[in-house]
Amino acid sequence: MTGFGAFLRKELIEIRRTWRLWVIPGMLVFLGVTSPIIAALTPGLVRSMAASQPGVVMRLPEPTALDAFAQFIKNLNQFMLIAVVITGAGVVSGERSSGTAILALTKPLSRGAFVVAKILSQLALLVAATALGTIACLVTTAVVFGAPDATRLVTAVALWLVYATLLVVVMTLFSAAFRSRGAAAGAGLGFFFLTLLFSSWGPAARYSFLGLLRAVGNALVGQPMSAVWPVLTAVAAIAVGAVAAVRIFERQEL
Amino acid sequence: MSGALSVRDATYPAAPATGADRSGPAAIELRGLTKRFGDTLALDGVDLVVRPGVVFGFLGRNGAGKTTALRILSGLARPTAGTAHVLGHDVTQASDVVRAQIGFLPDVPGFYPWMTAREYLEFAGQLFGIDPATLDARARALLEMAGLASVTTRVGGFSRGMKQRLGIAQALINAPSLLMLDEPTSALDPIGRHEVLEMVASLRGRTTVFFSTHILADVERVCDAVAILEQGRVVVSASVDELTARAAANRLIVELEGDDAAAVAGLLTGRVWLASLERTEQTLRMTVSDLAVAQREIPAAIAAAGAALRRFEIDDASLEDVFVKLVGGAER
Repeated sequence: MTGFGAFLRKELIEIRRTWRLWVIPGMLVFLGVTSPIIAALTPGLVRSMAASQPGVVMRLPEPTALDAFAQFIKNLNQFMLIAVVITGAGVVSGERSSGTAILALTKPLSRGAFVVAKILSQLALLVAATALGTIACLVTTAVVFGAPDATRLVTAVALWLVYATLLVVVMTLFSAAFRSRGAAAGAGLGFFFLTLLFSSWGPAARYSFLGLLRAVGNALVGQPMSAVWPVLTAVAAIAVGAVAAVRIFERQEL
Repeated sequence: MSGALSVRDATYPAAPATGADRSGPAAIELRGLTKRFGDTLALDGVDLVVRPGVVFGFLGRNGAGKTTALRILSGLARPTAGTAHVLGHDVTQASDVVRAQIGFLPDVPGFYPWMTAREYLEFAGQLFGIDPATLDARARALLEMAGLASVTTRVGGFSRGMKQRLGIAQALINAPSLLMLDEPTSALDPIGRHEVLEMVASLRGRTTVFFSTHILADVERVCDAVAILEQGRVVVSASVDELTARAAANRLIVELEGDDAAAVAGLLTGRVWLASLERTEQTLRMTVSDLAVAQREIPAAIAAAGAALRRFEIDDASLEDVFVKLVGGAER
């Protein structure tokens, strides 16, 4: 892992100096703040729309802190995972096409160190941003609904982060494997939607990482143990994906 | 760039560990190096030896295979067949060891646009594990050398020439034993080009410099030795002096006192050693296959024609003459 420290430092400074600092954290904080507000306003909005329709009577329960958390998790699944795919698509291919990888990799920086530093820097940003977004969600929920029980949200977000970590590794793998950022993004979106599709198949959801997103929902309603197999298989897949990304990049000519 | 361009003036080791050790292993040794991309043969059994401490020009037309060879030497690509050794190490087996001892500048260097020039040099030095004090002094000296010491804008706003100069500076940050430059002057204005060549010349004997180019004047100006690559093959490898002398040995200029060139030409036409002959009223320019015979028979023919000799000389040949002769004079 020659050159790892210097390259990881460069990656972290790059996050701080470029648009990457604002996109993922900005989105997460925005979702953290708006999700409880949307959850609080949604019943009222639905009732007002229903009132304009003659003969339609809507009876909706009063929103709770759990609705705010569910809204936040739904937004994480819908928006943030796609953002992870899009931003991760260029993480290796962008350096290759701009020629920056050539200058760095003709110095004592191994390909393995290059790929692992890329993965770790993305994870550092994602974990920090998710923590910020979650705090924003908890604070806003407390303001709107009163002091919530944060345990379920934190558990659900932790499980979501396991899936997001897998997606980061998969995107690094695709970005190393494909020459173009577009091809990597396409493959990443394909992976994401296939996992969504197969997550509804019971056996796969119970015993593989395909069940992680469903486990996130379970955690919110107090069934975190259902996530054991999905988490274990996700960790294994993360390790395999990272090794595969390194091996593929090592075999490539620049 | 600044006037203080010479690397001798920079904070640079007085004598690189292996760079100037002419008794050590070859700086570069290629044996049967072959690289194929699908149906295209980019390198076709290249054999080449570059001795330590020389400034070596790797000359060839665009597409001749120069960049491919440099990519293999720098560990960015793998050969299809054959071997490539740098400073005694097989580049495919000991890439970390090789990379620690080389400096490399690609034809179009890519920098992180959000960094300043100094930040990039510091980043490059940290990859080599250079201690902070040495790195600070060396970065300062190299920025001065590259004329970028007072530039505080980020690299994203640099001109191509500025990027090229920064590229050369970053290639020197580890005081390499072998400096490999791919078309280093192609993006520079005449002054920048002059200064880069001066810098390359100042490294002679301290570091081996191997640079590819299609600019013949650059090679003639600073190189000790040269290899000409054509369609993936080395067609010649020799010192610049030897190469030009070899070409010059077959060209003669004969100048007469009167308008007797036609008569002398008539006597010489048909001789087996005469490859070509051009004439004006007083001058004959000849290419010959046997210089010794020509030197005996031409004066005899001049005497037989009753002409008087004013000048008889072996023509100076330029590297361009050699290049055109060897690669066929096609479009460059």
